[in-house]
Amino acid sequence: MQNENAVTYGLVNKEVIEPLFKPSLAWAAIFAVDLLILAFGVYCWSYQLEWGMGVAGYTPPVFWGVYITTFVFWVGIGHAGTLISAILYLFRARFRTGVYRAAEAMTIFAVLSAGLFPNIHVGRLWYVYFLFPYPNQRLLWPNFKSPLVWDVFAISTYLTISSVFFFVGLIPDIAAVRDSNRNPIIKKVYNMLCFGWRGTDTQWRHYMAAYGFFAALCTPLVVSVHSVVSWDFAMAQTAGWHSTIFPPYFVAGAIFSGCAMVITLLVPITKIFKWENYLNILHFEAMAKLCLLTGFILTYSYIIEHFIGWYSDNPYEWGIFVDRATGQYDWIFFMMVACNCVIPLVWWFKKVRTNLWGLWLVSIVINIGMWFERYNIIASSLAHQFDPGAWVLYVPSWVEIGIMVGSFAWFFMWFLLFVKLMPAIAIAEIKEMIKPPLSTDTEEAA
Amino acid sequence: MSSHVKGVFNHLDSLITAIDRLRKADFDDYTVLSPLPRHEIEEAIYDNEPSPVRWWTLTGALVGGTGGFTLASLTSAVWPMALPAGKPMISIPPFVVITFESTVLIAGLATLAAIIYHCRLPAMDLPIECEDPRYSSDRFGLVFHDLEGARKEEAIKLLHDSGAEEVSCADDEDDATELVHEEA
Repeated sequence: MQNENAVTYGLVNKEVIEPLFKPSLAWAAIFAVDLLILAFGVYCWSYQLEWGMGVAGYTPPVFWGVYITTFVFWVGIGHAGTLISAILYLFRARFRTGVYRAAEAMTIFAVLSAGLFPNIHVGRLWYVYFLFPYPNQRLLWPNFKSPLVWDVFAISTYLTISSVFFFVGLIPDIAAVRDSNRNPIIKKVYNMLCFGWRGTDTQWRHYMAAYGFFAALCTPLVVSVHSVVSWDFAMAQTAGWHSTIFPPYFVAGAIFSGCAMVITLLVPITKIFKWENYLNILHFEAMAKLCLLTGFILTYSYIIEHFIGWYSDNPYEWGIFVDRATGQYDWIFFMMVACNCVIPLVWWFKKVRTNLWGLWLVSIVINIGMWFERYNIIASSLAHQFDPGAWVLYVPSWVEIGIMVGSFAWFFMWFLLFVKLMPAIAIAEIKEMIKPPLSTDTEEAA
Repeated sequence: MSSHVKGVFNHLDSLITAIDRLRKADFDDYTVLSPLPRHEIEEAIYDNEPSPVRWWTLTGALVGGTGGFTLASLTSAVWPMALPAGKPMISIPPFVVITFESTVLIAGLATLAAIIYHCRLPAMDLPIECEDPRYSSDRFGLVFHDLEGARKEEAIKLLHDSGAEEVSCADDEDDATELVHEEA
């Protein structure tokens, strides 16, 4: 935090709560554009529901395309929030305090966006409840040895626990918003949202104990959820997927993309809301360093994956890696390498990683690169399987692209609403970072 | 006639002094309010006694883990025809995933239930003295419940001597708060 001595408890309330509820013209314009894009996405989905999965660009045997790519992308984005809020909480990393609330919100909205895609991908939305392994009276007989069933459990658990952790963290701050507002309706609504929280000694005591347990429970979830997503692929026999390196590779990639998305979202917000007291270049630099670390793990994974493909002497395995780099999807492969392995290296220069434009632009590049990485893994492997007679070129249709773009609008819609309705900086935790007011300070000043 | 006595503190150390003094003076029906969790307050009131929330989390984890493994195992057991030949009906490695996720899910929900139960949420029955918007901003509060006669006077003096910037009391039958003392 900048100039800790100048920041007081009262000032934290004022500066964090003041930007709420009053939508500026710029906010309203961005929100309107976002809703338009979302409406197009909804149209694309309804078009697909009306005409069937034929309008997607699926080309047998490629039945996992943009939808599964975007699903994995959003689950990955959802990683950083819980990493920052839970793991860095347990490690007592100070830089987390200013960042974590927005990162947690990003997690929830990213998982909500990811959750759309199984619904879209199954085609017949009205049968989506088949995904849930509920009791067997319908003779569905869910197979708990299938990674797809693990995925349902992993994503549902992650969404539930992350949402609970996020909401529990918000309770004292919602109470602060309630107390600072004079509108009786807003007061009543926020009083209900914070369950009448008053910050009594009993409440804080049990709350803090529970918060620690939530952090401890969420920590293994961060690692498990993307490991399980990676097993959706790694448990299959498909060349390019069937690899033991997938879980750590996916987890590193998820943290890499999630931290980049946190930077993408928070740089403009900090500027617009004038939150430099709580979110400054040191926070962003710490996030950039985390991206550098996970980016290196990712690059190492790419290299090892290709090395093992060659070293295995398995023509199918090696064939897919050669095809990715030199075949019909080569430009996607090179986008992935450029955006994830090469361009982020500019963050090694302190001048770039301490410049808001340098941080923001590179973070967007990383997000683009991570989407291409998932596309590279999913589409290229399916389009180039064991039988050359079944090799195809899968090209996404306008419906798939529209739905994918619509999911970004869906994500940003929630985030834009969040920053206007809830404190995007954790008020109570920021106060914990400030020296408490002591009577000795007043005496010294006198 | 019983009264609620309320002290508002600007300084954390003054509040801690007040808590120490009231514990020595055998006051036990009081509430401390603060805009943030401070370990000094918890230590002064609870002597580092751990919160019972941990038992809820542990119970939830055990129930969730057992339930998840049982669900996966029984589902396999009642549908043996779905088994690929030669593979075990109840196979530990794949069921570990379900067991783990169920453990975390139910432990998390049990911890949420613990917060609701132990924090007495929704907290709609707290006395009106606890509802001061300053307590979520930049002031600490100490509220005594149902004091009468000499004990009430003693509490007012204790708050005053500890450095409260404002001391007030309200009678149960009369909601109007009377300002007893305010620091200049």
